[in-house]
Amino acid sequence: MSSTAPRSGMRVLMFGWEFPPFQAGGLATATVGLVKGLLRTAVDVTLVVPFHAEQSPLPALRLVSADGPADLVVHRVASPMTPYGGVAAYAEAQAALARGERRRGAVYGADLFAEVERYAGLAGAIAAREPHDVIDTHDWITFAAGLAARRVSGKPLVAHIHATEYDRAGAGANPEILRREREGMLAADRVVANSHALKRTCVERLGIPAAKIDVVHWGIDGDGFPARVTVPPVFRGHAPGARAKVPVVLFLGRVTWQKGPDYFIEMAAQVARFEPAARFVVAGQGDMLPWVIRRAAELGIADRVHFTGGVGGEDVHRLYRLADVCVMPSVSEPFGLVALESLRHGTPCIMPRTAGVAEVVRHAFKVDFWDIQAMTNQIVALLRHRALREELALNARRELASPRFSLEEPARLTAQSYRRTRPPTASAR
Amino acid sequence: MTDICIYAQVHQPFRLREYRLFDIGTEAAYFDDEANRRLLRRVADKCYLPANRLLTQLIRSSGRRFKVALSLSGTLMDQLAEWAPDVLVSFQELVATGGVELLGETHGHSLAALASAEEFRAQVAEHRRAIQRWFGQRPTVFRNTELIYWDGLAPEIAALGYQAVMVEGADHVMGWRSSNHVYAASGTPGLRLLPRNYRLSDDVGFRFSNRDWDGWPLTAEKYADWLQAAGGDSIHLYVDYETFGEHQWADTGIFAFLAQLPEECFRRGLRFVHPSSLAARPPVAELSFPRPTSWADMERDTTAWLGNQMQDSAQARLYGLRAAVLATGDPALLARWKRLTTSDHLYYMCTKWFADGDVHKYFSPYASPYDAFVAFMNVAQDLEQATLAAAPVRPAAAGQEGEVEAYLGGMACVA
Repeated sequence: MSSTAPRSGMRVLMFGWEFPPFQAGGLATATVGLVKGLLRTAVDVTLVVPFHAEQSPLPALRLVSADGPADLVVHRVASPMTPYGGVAAYAEAQAALARGERRRGAVYGADLFAEVERYAGLAGAIAAREPHDVIDTHDWITFAAGLAARRVSGKPLVAHIHATEYDRAGAGANPEILRREREGMLAADRVVANSHALKRTCVERLGIPAAKIDVVHWGIDGDGFPARVTVPPVFRGHAPGARAKVPVVLFLGRVTWQKGPDYFIEMAAQVARFEPAARFVVAGQGDMLPWVIRRAAELGIADRVHFTGGVGGEDVHRLYRLADVCVMPSVSEPFGLVALESLRHGTPCIMPRTAGVAEVVRHAFKVDFWDIQAMTNQIVALLRHRALREELALNARRELASPRFSLEEPARLTAQSYRRTRPPTASAR
Repeated sequence: MTDICIYAQVHQPFRLREYRLFDIGTEAAYFDDEANRRLLRRVADKCYLPANRLLTQLIRSSGRRFKVALSLSGTLMDQLAEWAPDVLVSFQELVATGGVELLGETHGHSLAALASAEEFRAQVAEHRRAIQRWFGQRPTVFRNTELIYWDGLAPEIAALGYQAVMVEGADHVMGWRSSNHVYAASGTPGLRLLPRNYRLSDDVGFRFSNRDWDGWPLTAEKYADWLQAAGGDSIHLYVDYETFGEHQWADTGIFAFLAQLPEECFRRGLRFVHPSSLAARPPVAELSFPRPTSWADMERDTTAWLGNQMQDSAQARLYGLRAAVLATGDPALLARWKRLTTSDHLYYMCTKWFADGDVHKYFSPYASPYDAFVAFMNVAQDLEQATLAAAPVRPAAAGQEGEVEAYLGGMACVA
């Protein structure tokens, strides 16, 4: 046996999200990272994840504990819920399911809230037969499931908050979702927020007592990163004497209001004025995609902007590697895992100064998301000066090598939060 | 008997505006005049004016037995002349007491010594003229920017007519030897070296107000005891002038400490001397500085300014423009270029401590070293374009000698 972590004897029943195959969503990545970290720190995990009946479930979550003692049980519950599930998105998913008629016998809720309740009912049943010491949930959609599980088992409940409805929708926030977020966090025994900024939102806008919120920033590992990627023909320089690869500026994330794709496209037009050879990649899907495509054409840069749609797996790594800079002009970014992924790949990142990740990463450009000129200034400088690119990449990589950015560190802090929950009632032990 | 030689550095840079890509070719104002003026005023009110008053009084009341040396950078003198003439007068009154010796340095507080011997000579000469103009002194002792010094620089300094140089008494140079003596420069024996006693200097400069330090609180009495116990011929104490009132605020008791120090020293038989009087003494031995050594950080090297790719490429870019700027014969372009040589611009690009979040170690107007680099390189780009646009006064083929003369003549007009 190698350096085996001491077994904590703790088992967590987690209502989380499986990494969806065709979506680069931070929440799923974050929960998978947390599970990995917990397993490595010898906390056992029973993970309950919804899967789209329309898609076949992933054959296996390849989460293997390096040292063996901890173990993972995965339960998949058929449900059209998605981590970023707005009410409209759910309706769309429902319609798609109806068209496809691939219901596989599952009975879904009539609307998102009904589905959340149905899921909660299933959660109670799982909690009754799965032994556990603590329950962990991830964002409002799973809060009801966590509460149902607690009613059954009497074990303490932790509410992980990754983003509030205010972050996702701003002024268009859905009041019912806000209510459920608030009630879930108030009812939980402990709340874990992924940044101080998000904690402030929870305290100031949702009225959650500051004393019950722990801040745990995310980490990252380099698992599955390819050692080398080849430059696809589309990004090769053709002009005589041109660089082997054209400069690439990357936007990776959901193409929604929250992520600021509109700022990205305006900025791209500015950068193109100074660096005509530069190409821009918008990787992701979302309700603003048609608007962004139209805007690129209006700005006369349609030939230089590539829309990849949703990307997953290897392609994500490839994009980070090919990019000279990754830009995150998010209106709201409670954490911003994309920044860590980009930096881990050695690609400099421009992030909003209000992002949660900006609280912990120092070696990056930090801007106001609306300041297109500032971003243009930094991007052009990055494309022009190799010294700047290399210095940023080198220092960021060194910074991320610190244990505080590992997967173990957030897992350790999360386990601390688990222990900080009120002691279980007498009947529960 | 041990002599005490105190020298304080007085310097302010011309900080850049947040100069963006969009400003290139359209905006000739590189420097943030408003911020520079405000910061100068703040440091003048907190440090320069009260410290000048106190030193004037200490020199007068001791019948000039209390003595100090100051080095004022050229950029500081430019700022005082332009924005704070009252403070310039205050320095002039202090110097007029006869108790202050002024040192020579590079006018731009630059790293020219590491980049261009020709530029180094030009800036030293310009600084000498500025000291002459404002204070009527001719410095005979030299201190290079941040005490950067190595054996190779010694002949240059000697050739410019200086008799002694302030250097860092770094452990890797001193070895078992004490810094409390006058040394000779290895290879240039006519030049005296006055190594800084960094422990006793930093007790005041860095540790004075540190409550975790076992020497806290530092009284003049205690410090004079330490000086007396240190032994040697002469103890060389070098600090930033901003120590008095800016780095160490008035409420730490730094001014009271300074006010009592001369009397406590006299009582113990310690004397104050000017560096030039030490330069006349025979050296105890030669000291060799094989590599450029500074008074900065634990490393005592030049990596705070030229320690990463951004700094190296910014420095190369700047000095790469020099010949073309000189060839234009345009004093305004030259003045702007010269202000970019100030070492602070490179210091802001230092990434060494940035990772630790230890930003309080130094003041930077930028959010990050990367932003500092971007602004600097944008300015360099504009300067290059402005240089290309300016019609050269003489053909590019003109000899080097002619260019330097043009520079020196041009600088006189700029002042």
